[in-house]
Amino acid sequence: MGQAVFVFSAAFLGSAVEATEALTIVLAVGLTRGWRAPLLGTVGAVVSLAVLVLIFGQLIVTQVPEWALKLLVGTLLLLFGLRWLHKAVLRSAGVEAKHDEERAYANTVAQLRSEAKQPTDWVGFVLALKGVFLEGLEVVFIVIGVGGTGRGLPVAVAGGVLAAAVVAAVGVVVRRPLARVPENTLKYGVGVILTSLGTFWAAEGMGARWPGDFVSIGALVIVYFVASRLAVTLIRRPAFA
Amino acid sequence: MSFIRAAIKEVVGLFVSDWVQSGVIVAIVAVGWIAVARFGAAAAILLVVLLAAQLVWFAQADGRRAKAKT
Repeated sequence: MGQAVFVFSAAFLGSAVEATEALTIVLAVGLTRGWRAPLLGTVGAVVSLAVLVLIFGQLIVTQVPEWALKLLVGTLLLLFGLRWLHKAVLRSAGVEAKHDEERAYANTVAQLRSEAKQPTDWVGFVLALKGVFLEGLEVVFIVIGVGGTGRGLPVAVAGGVLAAAVVAAVGVVVRRPLARVPENTLKYGVGVILTSLGTFWAAEGMGARWPGDFVSIGALVIVYFVASRLAVTLIRRPAFA
Repeated sequence: MSFIRAAIKEVVGLFVSDWVQSGVIVAIVAVGWIAVARFGAAAAILLVVLLAAQLVWFAQADGRRAKAKT
């Protein structure tokens, strides 16, 4: 039960962050140039992602041995999670600007206004397709990485789909970027969780067995959180330069 | 062709922002694999320590670089 809650929460939070970023792009296109092109682009991206997942999901699950899958997914999760965590540390320490949905929205709108509108709005279509596809790719990877190598895939998929549905529903109601979603804090937390899961899966793929099985992820979360706070503290030191 | 190149760059960008750091992470995983094979599951602790240490090291290096610029 604890494992299912952990997998669901990780998939939900990670997917919510990415869905929020995708929503900003679709809203910027829709409110500036009309809804037809961005909605078609969104549908195109979702269908492309579904096809990719069906093809590669089947191929990976049926062709790759479990230990190799754990090692591969674990290593990719480590690279993905540590990239998020590294950025979160720099943002927490104040040396990198925090992600701002209002600013991302304004930049996209400015870019769209400079493009002339034609009867078929290819610019709006491609921008929405690319934005949703790339953010969706991260959602797919988070869901597969969190739940794919264990028995938690249905729970992880539920977390990812629910996050996308909640963000889309809120976006339809408020019709503006979700600037109040604490994206930077969420990315910090999810970065710690994904890095911990990556370590867990990679070591299992190497043949190691963790004491207490899934419970040991709690200890990994503490280790990476402490390391990240240490990095923030060291960077913030006045003598640091 | 440029579209495919851009798409590949975006996908690689999901996992790699700094090639040196990513290389170090992959090297740590390889060292961990060898250590687990030779010394057993306890060697996974080495993997965790090295991964946490590289996080602190690279974040500090980036922080130092950013502060030197300002």
